[in-house]
Amino acid sequence: MSKTHKITPADFEKTIMAKVKSNEISMKPRWYFVLGSLLAVTGLAGLSVVAVFLTNLTFFLIRQHGPMGQWRLQMLFSSFPLWVPLLAMAGIVLGIRMLRKYDFSYKKNFWLIVAGFIVSIIIAAFIIDHLGLNETWSKRGPMRGFYQQMEYGRGNRFYRNK
Amino acid sequence: MLDISKLSDEDVAGIVRSKDKEIYAEIIRRYQTKLMRYASNIMGDEHKGADVVQEAFIKAYSNLNGFDTKKKFGSWIYRIVHNEAMNMLGKDKKQVPMDDAFEFDSGINIEDEFIKNELVSHTHHCLEQMSIIYREPLSLMYLEEKSYEEISDILRIPVGTVGTRINRARTIMKKLCQKHIK
Repeated sequence: MSKTHKITPADFEKTIMAKVKSNEISMKPRWYFVLGSLLAVTGLAGLSVVAVFLTNLTFFLIRQHGPMGQWRLQMLFSSFPLWVPLLAMAGIVLGIRMLRKYDFSYKKNFWLIVAGFIVSIIIAAFIIDHLGLNETWSKRGPMRGFYQQMEYGRGNRFYRNK
Repeated sequence: MLDISKLSDEDVAGIVRSKDKEIYAEIIRRYQTKLMRYASNIMGDEHKGADVVQEAFIKAYSNLNGFDTKKKFGSWIYRIVHNEAMNMLGKDKKQVPMDDAFEFDSGINIEDEFIKNELVSHTHHCLEQMSIIYREPLSLMYLEEKSYEEISDILRIPVGTVGTRINRARTIMKKLCQKHIK
């Protein structure tokens, strides 16, 4: 390939340095980047926690809707708070988008990272559900109201008459 | 007296952000020709390449505090040029579509000396016809003399993908140049 192909560079030095000296362009402060990194880490951690919680809640609600095949399915369609799994999925998708910002995302096989992220969330949610934390939270503590709303909330005629 | 011409790019960047912003001129001097060549190859147009490089130098300056001096400054600034070029190409929608899978048999032996010389003079024309995903790594490898690792850092693709694209680009380049000669 021709390396001798001549391209005359425009007078960047003069133009850009004039802007630098006149403060027309300025450097963003270091804290701006530190804050950016912190927000990215916090955002990813927060999204992961929310995704784990909502996935765990989905498992719990499916279990709470009873074991009776067809009837359970009917109930699922009529009263299941579908926004919970949908929000969990949105959290996972956003988390994956944030993972792309990190250097390791292109140095390793990204699809493997995505698969690892999804599997970790499902396993974490499964463990929380099986430890019985949902039962505890639905009976006492500050989450009780929320859980009751989820279990017997609006539109859930099967449970309201229970 | 500090001789800045002997300092590494990373050290110069460190001085610009902590002591003397006017030393940024040294970075511009070191990179303007290389970045112009790279940007012009991506854009397929010197004027657009110049716009990309100017914008990239401005962005590099304003984001200099975000540069990690433990990493290569070259890869960082090339990455900024790549991003700027992609933004501009997105705006212009000026990518030349090309069917990379087309087959062509000119019957010409590429190793022939005469053809080699012909290829040199037609290289830029061939490069311009190539799809951007192959043109860019090829240009970084042969014109900018970047390693696979550096290309991976600039394009943010795995090293293995860099190798695959370069091999594919070589094949496409060969076909394009043979077609052009014919």
